[in-house]
Amino acid sequence: MFSLLYRMVRDRALAEDLAQETFIKVLNGIKSYRPEFKFSSWIFKIANNAAIDHLRRKSIDTLSLDGAPSAETPEQVRATSLQLGDRAESPLDEVESRELGSAIERAIARLRPEYRSCILLRHVEGYSYEEIADTLDLPLGTVKTYIHRARNELRGYLEDRRD
Amino acid sequence: MTDISMHLTTDEIELWAQGLLPAARAMHLAECSLCRTEAERERKVMLELVQLPKFAPSAGFADRVMAQVKVPTPSGDWTP
Repeated sequence: MFSLLYRMVRDRALAEDLAQETFIKVLNGIKSYRPEFKFSSWIFKIANNAAIDHLRRKSIDTLSLDGAPSAETPEQVRATSLQLGDRAESPLDEVESRELGSAIERAIARLRPEYRSCILLRHVEGYSYEEIADTLDLPLGTVKTYIHRARNELRGYLEDRRD
Repeated sequence: MTDISMHLTTDEIELWAQGLLPAARAMHLAECSLCRTEAERERKVMLELVQLPKFAPSAGFADRVMAQVKVPTPSGDWTP
């Protein structure tokens, strides 16, 4: 769950805050847990909602290397771009650059948050499509579409890098 | 029943990558260079994803969480 949060927000301290918030919600709200729902899915649902809420609150719905999708001018693109290369300022920044600096991690960071959640749950956490649909409250067809599009985008980013 | 000449769907490519593609469809894959190329490209991405490391929070994380969780006491009160 921490890995998912970390890859969603790409900030260790923030991911820990969100993980803490998630566990406190889970443990304090354990009475509202419905046993027909997989327990780990319930935790992932709360964690993912926390990450998405945070990204929306901060208006950085794609922590994009290429700037926010709403950016219309070159200045706006520059202002909203994630500058990974410039971040090695503190020991924590260095850790983050090392942990999330590979080509595949950078490609994941370019995905829309909805695609990112789905692809991480599918291929990193090993969830089935049905479990992802349950966890994220999405129709099964939407989950499949998101995952296929995410893989296509990742392929594009990774193949561009190799060319 | 799926026509053997039909190209693989994305779902079938994922099944193939997991070693779960039915034999009839695997026959198509063996004969279709277009599908093989597509399947190999997909497999490369999936492989990179499944090999991603798992991360853990810093030391003391569990203690910090538990310090903020209300725990029922035998007398029925809640702590902290």
